[in-house]
Amino acid sequence: MNDSETRSTRLQKRRRSSVGTRETPVKSQKTSPKALIVDNGAYSIKIGYAEDSEPKVIPNCIMKAKSERKRLFVGQQIEECRDCSGLYYLLPCERGYITRWEVQKPVWDHVFSKNVFPIEDNPVILTQPLFNFKSIQDCIDEIFFEEYEVSSLFRCSPSDLTYLNYAKHKQTKNDACLVVDTGFSFTHVVPYVLGNKFLRGIRRINVGGKLLTNHLKDIISYRQYNVMEETYVINQVKEDTCYVSKDIKKDLVKAAEPYKLNSIVRNYVLPDFNLIRRGFIQENVKTELNDEDNNYQILRLNNERFIVPEILFHPSDIGIKSMGIAEAIVDSICSCPQDQRQLLARNIILNGGNCKFPGFKERLYADLRSLLPVDWPVKLYLPEDPITYPWKGGGKQELALPINEDDNKMEVEEENDEMDESSNNLSMAAEDVDSEKGVNKRGRRTKVIEEENVQTQNTVENEYNIFDDSEIFPFDVSSYL
Amino acid sequence: MPLKGAPRGSNRIKDNEKRRVIDDSQRKRRQRKFMELLESDNYHEDPHADLVMSKKVPKFDNSLEQRTSRNKKKERTVDYYQFKYRKNFQQLVEDNRAEAELRNCPSYMDVQCKESQLPQRRFCAVCGFLGPYSCLSCGTRYCSLKCMGTHMDTRCLKWAS
Repeated sequence: MNDSETRSTRLQKRRRSSVGTRETPVKSQKTSPKALIVDNGAYSIKIGYAEDSEPKVIPNCIMKAKSERKRLFVGQQIEECRDCSGLYYLLPCERGYITRWEVQKPVWDHVFSKNVFPIEDNPVILTQPLFNFKSIQDCIDEIFFEEYEVSSLFRCSPSDLTYLNYAKHKQTKNDACLVVDTGFSFTHVVPYVLGNKFLRGIRRINVGGKLLTNHLKDIISYRQYNVMEETYVINQVKEDTCYVSKDIKKDLVKAAEPYKLNSIVRNYVLPDFNLIRRGFIQENVKTELNDEDNNYQILRLNNERFIVPEILFHPSDIGIKSMGIAEAIVDSICSCPQDQRQLLARNIILNGGNCKFPGFKERLYADLRSLLPVDWPVKLYLPEDPITYPWKGGGKQELALPINEDDNKMEVEEENDEMDESSNNLSMAAEDVDSEKGVNKRGRRTKVIEEENVQTQNTVENEYNIFDDSEIFPFDVSSYL
Repeated sequence: MPLKGAPRGSNRIKDNEKRRVIDDSQRKRRQRKFMELLESDNYHEDPHADLVMSKKVPKFDNSLEQRTSRNKKKERTVDYYQFKYRKNFQQLVEDNRAEAELRNCPSYMDVQCKESQLPQRRFCAVCGFLGPYSCLSCGTRYCSLKCMGTHMDTRCLKWAS
């Protein structure tokens, strides 16, 4: 197939797939490599190429096991570990922001290595937390361009990808929507208005999955066994048994009943990493503990099951002076322009691992319903998998349709092309400098690429100003501040 | 039968006099310590810390795609990044605040939620049910005499210095 043929087929393809009649000039690129999308969470990395249907979820940490000395487990290597008791974590993030490069770099080295997800010529879309600090951004850029030699890199927040995914899902363009992202380190509420993040409406609650696990660990250690060292196991206990209560007072009364009548208490069989690799809930709870002849340990969970996730809704329960998630959503909505508020309440997307607690959506709905005006419809959208939802927003199939035509050219095919173009610039720049490399020191080269790099980033960002952190808002916002 | 002249009185009152009420700043310190615990990655020490050969660890497989231009360059060690971008969290937040002020847009600290309008709920520190009573010495909540006893024997700060 020669060049022109490729071009024409590509043109046809594009016509068929795009909704509008707008024709876009096709760049002279042959085939653009598929992008590698990396949702770099503080606890797990969701990674995959653009055409994959599901990302791979890899723990973003290095672990040390007590049983296997002289060995470190990086990322998903933990599956090879026989005994996960007393696992010691090295996490790259502090409060959600990468501060320990000595951990993050080896994890990335592993993730981008040959048999996991190698970066060939792929453009990379990488997520970073909201308000990512400047020096962290610089370091990310330096690592990706210098170490992994990516052709192009695009950083955005996971909520941006969520927003894109939702806009695609709903087939809308300018709808306002509110992303609730409750992850490992914190919970963010991010309103999107007219395709832009409304910066003054963003709220953060310093409660995330890590805090919940640590709290559960603390109360179990006080009431039953000392499990302070078993973060890994207790995290599983949390995932398996905890739920969000619809009415905490009623549930507390139920939990206070004697065990035989109690519908809340659960016996959880702890893993011994010999016969039982992962703990589970014992089926017949009502039988008194007469299986002591079986030599497995049982953890009895009662009100812990719903008291722990309750912290998300009332951080003040453990003395954190902060609003709960429902209050924060209302506060965020109220700080947005008046004509957008109802629209925001109708488009709330739930994201992140904490949304997987059973009853989370129902409880949040009930709380919001009682806090918002009666005549406002409230709608929550909980994706099938709230953990991988942002990643899917980065996938080509999700971004293939134009999202914001007014916002000029918001297509991923173009995004890819754009990225290719920028990568061309970049590689040209690199070559230019390479030719004079004999004269210059290496430090110089780095600097030039970095500058070039910043420029390309800027152009990309200007093009898609949905991702721009600077507030571009078409009407007077001062009245809402 | 007590000796004549010795004052009569209940042991409980005598015990209570020995108890020290810990002040606000100490309670705050306890709360801060608790928050740090909740934010910590690990409770225990590094199990490999005593390994003699820990200097050679980490050994990561260098199976990264080696590019032509890469070979010419010297491999950068992790220390390079750690050194170049060494800033603790407080510094980062401070930098961010200063920058945001210049650009007149919200910063990391600005988006943090304000205090809740709703009243704080009190739970028994021992059993987790609603705790209507508070410890005289340290202010911890409990729900019953039984839980009070447990609290006094374990986590109460009355003897803490």
